[in-house]
Amino acid sequence: MTAVALGFALLGYRYQFHDVEVPLFLLAIALTAWYAGPRPTVLALALSIVLFDYFFTEPRFTLYVRSSDVPYLVIFICFASLVAWFSAVRRRVETALVRARDDLQAEVAERTQQASLLDLTHDTIFVRLMNDMITYWNRGAQQLYGWTAQEAIGKHSQQLFQTIYPVPVEDVRAELLRTGRWEGELRKRKADGTEVVVASRWSLRRDEQDRPLAILETNNDITGRKRREQEIQDLNRELEKRSTELEATNKELEAFAYSVSHDLRAPLRHVSGYSELLQKKSASVLDDKGNRYIAMIVDSAKHMGNLIDDLLSFSRIGRAEARKAPVSLTQLAKEALNEVRPETEGRNVVWKIGDLPDLYGDRSMMRLVLVNLLSNAVKFTRTRAQAEIEIGCASATGEECVVFVRDNGVGFDMKYVNKLFGVFQRLHQASEFEGTGIGLATVQRVIHRHGGRVWAEGAVDKGATFYFSTPALKG
Amino acid sequence: MEKTSTTVGRILMVEDDPKDVELTLTALEDYNLANEVVVTRDGEQALDYLYCRGEYKMRSRENPAVMLLDLKLPKVDGMEVLKQIKADPNLSMIPVVVLTSSREEKDMVASYKLGVNAYVVKPVDFHEFVNAIKELGIFWAVINEPPPGSIRK
Repeated sequence: MTAVALGFALLGYRYQFHDVEVPLFLLAIALTAWYAGPRPTVLALALSIVLFDYFFTEPRFTLYVRSSDVPYLVIFICFASLVAWFSAVRRRVETALVRARDDLQAEVAERTQQASLLDLTHDTIFVRLMNDMITYWNRGAQQLYGWTAQEAIGKHSQQLFQTIYPVPVEDVRAELLRTGRWEGELRKRKADGTEVVVASRWSLRRDEQDRPLAILETNNDITGRKRREQEIQDLNRELEKRSTELEATNKELEAFAYSVSHDLRAPLRHVSGYSELLQKKSASVLDDKGNRYIAMIVDSAKHMGNLIDDLLSFSRIGRAEARKAPVSLTQLAKEALNEVRPETEGRNVVWKIGDLPDLYGDRSMMRLVLVNLLSNAVKFTRTRAQAEIEIGCASATGEECVVFVRDNGVGFDMKYVNKLFGVFQRLHQASEFEGTGIGLATVQRVIHRHGGRVWAEGAVDKGATFYFSTPALKG
Repeated sequence: MEKTSTTVGRILMVEDDPKDVELTLTALEDYNLANEVVVTRDGEQALDYLYCRGEYKMRSRENPAVMLLDLKLPKVDGMEVLKQIKADPNLSMIPVVVLTSSREEKDMVASYKLGVNAYVVKPVDFHEFVNAIKELGIFWAVINEPPPGSIRK
């Protein structure tokens, strides 16, 4: 740049244009300082001084410096410093500007990304000013309500949604202003006119002066959940009603069973008692027929007593709560066997007891099952010279175990198998085998209450096998 | 039969059903225990007897050696009588046998919780009934050593 200035100065000098060399050099220094930075400026300054001194001051073409030239030098230096200072300020401002622009660009990029992220979510998000005017509307909002961003932005949200608040809207606003947030369930109208229930969350945005600026609201559609909740509530109410009714019925039944237990047995005991007393006192004056009649009365009273006892234990199984715990069937079978053993007195009974599993159930109820089944087996093998009764486990999977009681007794006709487990159903005449017809019904009731099944196989005169299954003991 | 019941006896029977009273006394006759029985017909009368008040004001102040208590009674029921006896330090030592028609578990549990000494379900079969009553009478009125302050033979 200094060389160009020198060229022009020399050219001017040649054509007798004096006094252009100083401005030209100053221009060169200024341009260098403005565009090239401090070090080239110093170089340009030094070069200019040397060249000016060499070419344009007397004596020319020497580097001799006269005192009259000093002001020129001072002017050069001052001018160069001034321009350099201006240039530095300009650069600083420029750098700051560039940085500000970059920051702005970055922020714009980030905001754009955030906005598109808000669009990605399925949640409904929109922003409205304090005067209720909508300023932002994401894609979730469009999906839920049916209005596009163009349609929604600029509208008043209350006009758009016709929101129904659970509490006065003033309270909602007050809470929002006080705490900065609000949550609740709102009913809103969609673009197609249908109503939607949303879980709504509001957040308040404030400006730098802490003045409320806008409200960001997110909505989740809970219409389906609400409906299901309502349905569940209705069902629960219905269930509660039924359960109350059932409880009342159960109480009635219990009172009934109690009075059966107490009041029905007393007269029966008297019938039996007085008949016996009559027999004792008057046996000598009664003939055989009379004595037989009394025996029949006593016998019938006893039978009815048994019936009442069995019926009560049957009804108790329905009423009592099953107290379930791990139960050893082997142990229970031993106990049941001891209980029925007196019935086998004087008879030849071969017992076979296989490996029995542990199961999960009500001990006393399961005991009743085994006693009933073993007692039946003993009873219906009475006509056999040698009775064989086997109890064992037919199969045990992870899910359930099947236990059987097999005998070689009189058996039954499979034709009537469905009658076996009914209350008061008997397949044998009372004169052959006594009984109340409640035992197997009790067995079935217990097993059903344990979530298992009962069934039987048999043939007339070929013995019978009774099976029951119960859920296996886990772990 | 009614004549056999006295105002002093080792066995206090609380039973509202006259037939049950008669059958019980019949059972006890065999061991000559029938005339040891004081019969009260409801809970209130039983408590009057135990506290020597009302019609029993004049009786000697000894406790019975055993009390046979029915649960279902007019006025004050058996459970209430049991509760009052076991809560009174002067009466709590009297052995109480609940003699009832009820086989209900809740009655049994409630009785034992109140401190009953025995719980017997009256058998429907007369032989069993007679045996049960006889054994009860013999055990509590003859074999068992009653607490101090009881009527002795």
